[in-house]
Amino acid sequence: MSVKAREFRSMDESISQETIDRYADLSGDYNPLHVDLDFAAASEFGGTIAHGPIQLHPFFRSVSAWLGTKEFGPGTTVSVTYRYPARPGDTLHFEAVTIGEAEDGALMVAGQTLNQDGTTLALIDTVLPTRRP
Amino acid sequence: MDEKLSNILFDDLEVGKRSGPYDFRVSAELAANLADAIGVAQPVEWTPPAVFPTIFLMALRRSMGGIPSGSILAKQHLEFHERLAVESDATVSMWVGEKYVKRGRAFVVFEFDIRNAAGSPVLTGRKIIVWPNGPRVEPSDER
Repeated sequence: MSVKAREFRSMDESISQETIDRYADLSGDYNPLHVDLDFAAASEFGGTIAHGPIQLHPFFRSVSAWLGTKEFGPGTTVSVTYRYPARPGDTLHFEAVTIGEAEDGALMVAGQTLNQDGTTLALIDTVLPTRRP
Repeated sequence: MDEKLSNILFDDLEVGKRSGPYDFRVSAELAANLADAIGVAQPVEWTPPAVFPTIFLMALRRSMGGIPSGSILAKQHLEFHERLAVESDATVSMWVGEKYVKRGRAFVVFEFDIRNAAGSPVLTGRKIIVWPNGPRVEPSDER
């Protein structure tokens, strides 16, 4: 296996309330946990949290950079388990933990999105066909 | 109730009931704004992966009259079958795959099926959501 985990280390991505509001506008998801400061302050989180898909962005950007394309091709799978929410003020990045190879030659990457404290926010497993899209 | 939000109850979600197919078109603007850092437009020819969760959300909104207020995403799964050209017609269907309660929290599993104009699968996926309310407690259960 010549592919190294470090090849999937993403750039840092800062999350602000403006980022979250922008994503709400793009997705139409105005869940008050994301955009209503008072509602979120009274919730179990004590403040607003980012939409779950925002935590995937460093991963998407990392894999896109590795593939050399902005789209994912047929046969790609992505499985995400969220552990902690991202919050305004966080800086996120994705890093691969293990790299494996499936019987059909597909690349199996297990990684995580972490914040600036090193806390794992999301576990991400992906299978990437070796052929580009 | 804010029309962007839904207060649909856990008990009112019917396992197996399909919603859609809903027509949609991935706009060049949406694709560009999710192709790289959020909101930093970068024109693309093919739909980038970050767009598909927003299509799931669109289907949820249409099916339930809004996003379930106070819901939390617990897990997500995406399977890519075919590329989708930006500005091409497509459809999305969804259904409740499963409902359950675990450690006192209510979970709903939503399944999604996105197809291109020819009817070929583009992406199938799943969201597991922590629902903001749980099963109705019957008086006999409260003892």
